[in-house]
Amino acid sequence: MNKPLWESPWAYMESFLISFGLVLIGFLLEFSIPNHPEVKIVYPLNLILGLCFVALVILLYFLLRKIRIIRFLSGIPASIGAVVAFAALVILMGISPQVPMQGKNIITTLKLNDLTSSWSFLLINLYVLLVLGLVILQKLERFKRRNWGFICSHLGLWITIFTVGLGAGDLQRLRMDLHVNKTEWKAYDGEGKYYEMPLAIHLNHFQIDEFHPKLAVVENSSGKLYEASKPSMIMIEKKLQCKLHQWNVEVSEFYASSGRSGDRYYQMFDYGAAPAAFVKVTTSSSDTLSGWISCGSFNHQHESLKLNRDFSLLMTVPEPRKFSSEVTIFTPDGSKVNQTLEVNKSYSVNGWKIYQLSYDEKMGKYSELSIVELVKDPWQIYVYIGVFLMMIGSVYMFWQGSKLRQKATSMVLSEDL
Amino acid sequence: MIWNYFLITASISTTSWGVAAFIHKKEGFRNSLVIAGILSIALFIAFLWIQLERPPLRTLGETRLWYAFFLPIIGFITYWRWRYHWMLYYSLALSLIFLLINYLHPENFSKTLMPALQSPWFVPHVVVYIFAYAFLAASSLVAIRGLYQFYKNKLTPKLMLMADNLVYLGFAFLTLGLLFGALWAKEAWGHYWTWDPKETWAFITWMGYLVYIHFRYQHVSKSKAALWILALAFVILLVCWFGINYLPSAQFSIHTYSKAP
Ligand code: HEM
Repeated sequence: MNKPLWESPWAYMESFLISFGLVLIGFLLEFSIPNHPEVKIVYPLNLILGLCFVALVILLYFLLRKIRIIRFLSGIPASIGAVVAFAALVILMGISPQVPMQGKNIITTLKLNDLTSSWSFLLINLYVLLVLGLVILQKLERFKRRNWGFICSHLGLWITIFTVGLGAGDLQRLRMDLHVNKTEWKAYDGEGKYYEMPLAIHLNHFQIDEFHPKLAVVENSSGKLYEASKPSMIMIEKKLQCKLHQWNVEVSEFYASSGRSGDRYYQMFDYGAAPAAFVKVTTSSSDTLSGWISCGSFNHQHESLKLNRDFSLLMTVPEPRKFSSEVTIFTPDGSKVNQTLEVNKSYSVNGWKIYQLSYDEKMGKYSELSIVELVKDPWQIYVYIGVFLMMIGSVYMFWQGSKLRQKATSMVLSEDL
Repeated sequence: MIWNYFLITASISTTSWGVAAFIHKKEGFRNSLVIAGILSIALFIAFLWIQLERPPLRTLGETRLWYAFFLPIIGFITYWRWRYHWMLYYSLALSLIFLLINYLHPENFSKTLMPALQSPWFVPHVVVYIFAYAFLAASSLVAIRGLYQFYKNKLTPKLMLMADNLVYLGFAFLTLGLLFGALWAKEAWGHYWTWDPKETWAFITWMGYLVYIHFRYQHVSKSKAALWILALAFVILLVCWFGINYLPSAQFSIHTYSKAP
């Protein structure tokens, strides 16, 4: 059991030393090559490098499989070491916020705030791909029919990691600001650089459906939501009667769209109209209060009802239920389609996928701006192949359970005991 | 009103399972009581779904309800398959704890569902995850039981097999949950995976069980180490599920809807 380190056969000690060694090398590289520019490996270079890597793995396997190192690399100890080192990096990522940071300190130097683009992450990914690749080749060479589940999950995972990595350089993600009744063909990236697109979008209409606003109580001094008891917010309905903390609230009038005139609100649909409600509030001890409340809008005052010295009742700004853009999309070949873009409902054209992203939130439902995202990801189909293989592998796993282990476990344990 | 129905549900489940534990010997009657308790939770979930006009899968409290529903089912199935009574009672007790937590932390039952979550992927993604977590939680109970047996020199092959089975089932669901999530994100936002804290910890959990599966595969006789790996993997799972809000990275999570007001 107590064999010296690095003497074959290699096992867990060696495995962890190699994988965590790679992580360490990555951090050292980060230290010694500071401020290296972001390199994006784009087509066709990524394809060439990818094919070289595949060739390397296959050659290593078929030419050198007699060598102990290769046998070690295609076994469980190496696999577990690779997975644990990868997991360690991901744990770092789970603890340290992955957000852009200013200044030079230990976190930014080691890229702890941007680990997915660090050397360590790259090296450990390559190592996992190498080990997993050798594992798959070994299984394929001695293929038996009952191994198909294994091949699906492992090959699927390999393809997924490989193609996501290679495709990263070719992925383009841009935004486009659409204004009502205007046509736009320029999109901008994260740095605000503009690109001309092979398509143009005309925004015909932008629409937001909203949920009803909610009743809430806030502290007068701080403006903070009062949460002494739950629920602390209740959605307003016509004729609602409810208990909010110690107050009984009755909504006797509610207009989803209204305007104030004189001492009350009326239903109105003009530009900037806001929801309003007439509420009656009673507490167990004191008498009844009543008044109009409204959450206001970009050009209407909001109005709340003071309950006592400390608290006020107010109406929250309604949350969007759905927002969508009716657009006409033009392409250089002269075609034109009408389409509705919505969150979770994207549209593909000319290799670009268009996603409804956002709008002018200050204007709420009166927004005349719709922000869409344009994504081009030529490698998506290959990633999906990997993902679907993994899904098949999972279903196989579910179906088979750990049947294969049963005999072995029973034998080993009954010997032991 | 929803709250009152919750109280009725919780009392029915608590009473019927309490009585079930009491009349342990009368198997047929006991099993009907167990099922009655499960049904009462099922009815409440259905009621909530209709009342809220959306799937009740958004907040932590709502997902706890689903655990309270799935855990006894899994406990019952495992008991049926392997005749382990303790597994049944453990899962019932765990389910009652979830109901108790919901009782102690009443939350808003709000109808709002942000547009990002209005997708056909939403229900399968979350339900598959809940199933996975319920299986894996059950497997960790087995691990604790196994370690106890191990140190008493009484570890049985049957127990290891049960741990393996639960992990394989749970891991299959966990993988599907991750993949559904990735496909959904791609369809909805154009990226598979953003390494958001919640996603990151879900991935770490996945890797924990991956290590268990492979370790078991290679070293069938090293039960102790395998059981410790399994227990540790569950700690990670708990971090992913509860602890995530306390980590420094959490303030940047996009999955904050889980603690929405
Ligand atoms: C989707 C993720 C994965 C799943 C579901 C999975 C599942 C499995 C299963 C069920 C087996 C047993 C195979 C059998 O019964 O013949 C196995 C074996 C194995 N896996 Fe994985 N695995 C995954 C990822 C990985 C990774 C990332 C590595 C390495 C980096 C790896 C390396 C191995 C090795 C070396 C074996 C042993 C093969 C043998 O010697 O026959 N697996 N895996």
